[in-house]
Amino acid sequence: MKKNRVWLSLFLTFAFLLSACSSGNNGSANTNAGSKEGSAGENAGMAPAKLTIVLYGDETNRMKELAKTEFYDVIKQEINAEVEFQFLPWSEYAGGKTDLMLSTGEDFATYTDINYMVKSVAKGVYADLTPYLDAAPDLRANVDEASFTAFQLGGKQYAIPVGNKPNSAEFYSVLVRQDLLEEVGMTSVSSLAELEEFYDKVHALHPELIGYASTDARRMLLYDYTDKNLYWQNEFIALDESAEDDQIISWFESEDFKKYAELMRGWYQKGIIPKYAATNTPQLQSDWNSGKAIFWAGTAARPFEGAATITQAVPGAKLANYFLGTGRPKISRGTYSTAFFVSSAAKDPERYVMFFNLLQKNQELYDLFAYGIEGTDFTLDENGRLTKINNDALIPDWLLMNKNFMRFDNSVPEDFIAEYKAWDDGAIISKGAGFNFDNTPVKNEETKLNGVFTEYLAPIGSGFVDYDEVYPRALEKLKAAGLDKYIAEYQKQYSEWYAKQN
Amino acid sequence: MATTESKGLMIFFYCFIAIFSIICLIPFVLAVSGSLSTEARIAAEGYSFLPRGFSLETYQFLFGSKAEQIIRAYSVSLLVTALGTVSAVLVTTAYAYVVSVKGFRFKNVLAFFAYFTMLFSGGTLPWYLLSTKYYHLNDTLIGLFVPYLLNVFLMFLMTNYFRSIPHEIMESAEMDGAGHMRIFFSMMIPLGRVGLVTISLFYALQFWNDFYLPLMLVSNQELYTIQYMMYNMMANIQFLASGNAAQVSGAIIAPPLETAKMAMTCLTVLPIAILYPFLQRFFVRGIVVGSVKG
Repeated sequence: MKKNRVWLSLFLTFAFLLSACSSGNNGSANTNAGSKEGSAGENAGMAPAKLTIVLYGDETNRMKELAKTEFYDVIKQEINAEVEFQFLPWSEYAGGKTDLMLSTGEDFATYTDINYMVKSVAKGVYADLTPYLDAAPDLRANVDEASFTAFQLGGKQYAIPVGNKPNSAEFYSVLVRQDLLEEVGMTSVSSLAELEEFYDKVHALHPELIGYASTDARRMLLYDYTDKNLYWQNEFIALDESAEDDQIISWFESEDFKKYAELMRGWYQKGIIPKYAATNTPQLQSDWNSGKAIFWAGTAARPFEGAATITQAVPGAKLANYFLGTGRPKISRGTYSTAFFVSSAAKDPERYVMFFNLLQKNQELYDLFAYGIEGTDFTLDENGRLTKINNDALIPDWLLMNKNFMRFDNSVPEDFIAEYKAWDDGAIISKGAGFNFDNTPVKNEETKLNGVFTEYLAPIGSGFVDYDEVYPRALEKLKAAGLDKYIAEYQKQYSEWYAKQN
Repeated sequence: MATTESKGLMIFFYCFIAIFSIICLIPFVLAVSGSLSTEARIAAEGYSFLPRGFSLETYQFLFGSKAEQIIRAYSVSLLVTALGTVSAVLVTTAYAYVVSVKGFRFKNVLAFFAYFTMLFSGGTLPWYLLSTKYYHLNDTLIGLFVPYLLNVFLMFLMTNYFRSIPHEIMESAEMDGAGHMRIFFSMMIPLGRVGLVTISLFYALQFWNDFYLPLMLVSNQELYTIQYMMYNMMANIQFLASGNAAQVSGAIIAPPLETAKMAMTCLTVLPIAILYPFLQRFFVRGIVVGSVKG
């Protein structure tokens, strides 16, 4: 009797658990079957495929809707694939759950940067896409060739770049609140002295505003502390783009770093960089977005990209880019926005590449993926200017941004667009573009160095602490962490690669 | 003399606790007042204890644009908390009973198995593999609570409650012909009620506050919990504000408004804040009972 009851209860528990499991599965199976019937049979020739595209950020309602309707139908029709868009929080980008999904062999694709690509290829979790490049003819026509080389390792293509936009001299210019500049009776900024004058004047008028809304100004201040045209490979290593050689520069050991740190110390003491920046860095961007900062680091697109947010808080805000010096060519790392990789467990990597192709195929598809459906989500005027009816983000447009297709809204003046399109004129591609450092021989050193960087060098570089006081100890720590070995290894690999290029 | 001294001490303690609780309350008050302020004034003047330019706009905005999502997330959270707590308490007490029952040969082995997981765990990767590849918990409702069904610490807590119940009661029940099922459901559970309430509260809080399981196992927005919605929002802001965003070049995404962040915070805290004062006495009593008798 007793035993029977125990068995009965065990059986009931199992039945309960099993039913819960299977009901969940049934539910999803049904919806899949339903949607399959809806639109199958449009595209002959290719076997149906299922793709999972992971995107980071928030999934908007409209995106969810379109992913099930128009996007689904168009993709199905074009490449006979069912695409499922999965959204993850940004904290999982290049790590976290993305890592887990890669190591457990899930079938998906998402975007990557070069650092993450190098790490992941070493683990063997990215599919080699070289054989499938021909599946993306339109994308190759619309994306710069140099962008492809940037995502190659050992001659193999591990990620497919998307986007094509002027992005040379990223953060080398100062993005200034033009409305404030005019308010204090100035018209432009062309040197550090003028920038500081601008700050002083605005500060006198609006003491509540902070000066610089970031902690890193090594690029924009370049003209004032060095004659070289520096371009950073990572926190530790820079290249001088004005010299035609394969010398790398150990940034923290250079005289330039000293001068830069002193400039920043001055900014910090003067209050151009607010005191809270040392402990609450995220607040800086918040302040910039809400119109509480005077200047920021600029990029080609920031004058109009960022304006929308600021004008919510300060309706009259205008933004403009200025360089603090002249005579040094702008440096570009390539014109891509990002690049998609495919997990090595993917059953059909070629179909993924075909999907990437759709993202940059033609104006029609670009409009659909970036802006939605004309009439419902946006309207175009006779000049092709865009007015959004629906502000929900779809496939993030920073990711797709291609100068061949992108549209501007009515608030962007013509001269901005002209300036933007001409931004890359005369720019050079960095001599390090396409070189990817293999960090396996110095992995331990790198980890230790990053620790020292966060603890000592970053505060020195941002002017939070005094160079003369802290630097000797910081250098000691760097050396102890293996800086020399790291630099030597980097130099060795870079020289080898450089020799092959020329 | 002694009474005045203790009176003085009492006054000191009361003051100390009052100050301490005010310090704890400040952020919460700021959040509530922030959520009731207008965005423009928050941006211009910062936070304050009283709402700046009182308005319900933020809540209207949130419920206007995301009402469906918030309500769904709320119901998923409630469902997960309810289902999770009930099943977790059932599993935990059952395990605790087995471990506490006298004369059961393998009870120490079972206790050790549970204890072992407190010291060593398999790590995230195997856990993820097991959950997704073998148990297929991804994108299912049960995936949001099944992995947390047995909290070993709470299980041992419960074992202690059961041990504190005089063994003779069970013996007499057994003599009257009661089986383990009857003893467990008709005697142990009513007698261990205080412990039961305590662990239920712990579980309920854990399920309500959890965002890790949805982060790992859920990609379907319909299964988002309110905490995960919140986490998602915060994680995106943090990432974009940190230097990492520069690597994904030009990723400029307008961060949600300050007031919206605060309103979301209030929405997630609200149910717990309302329930806690009523349930708190069980917490205290539960813990005290265990300590005296155990």
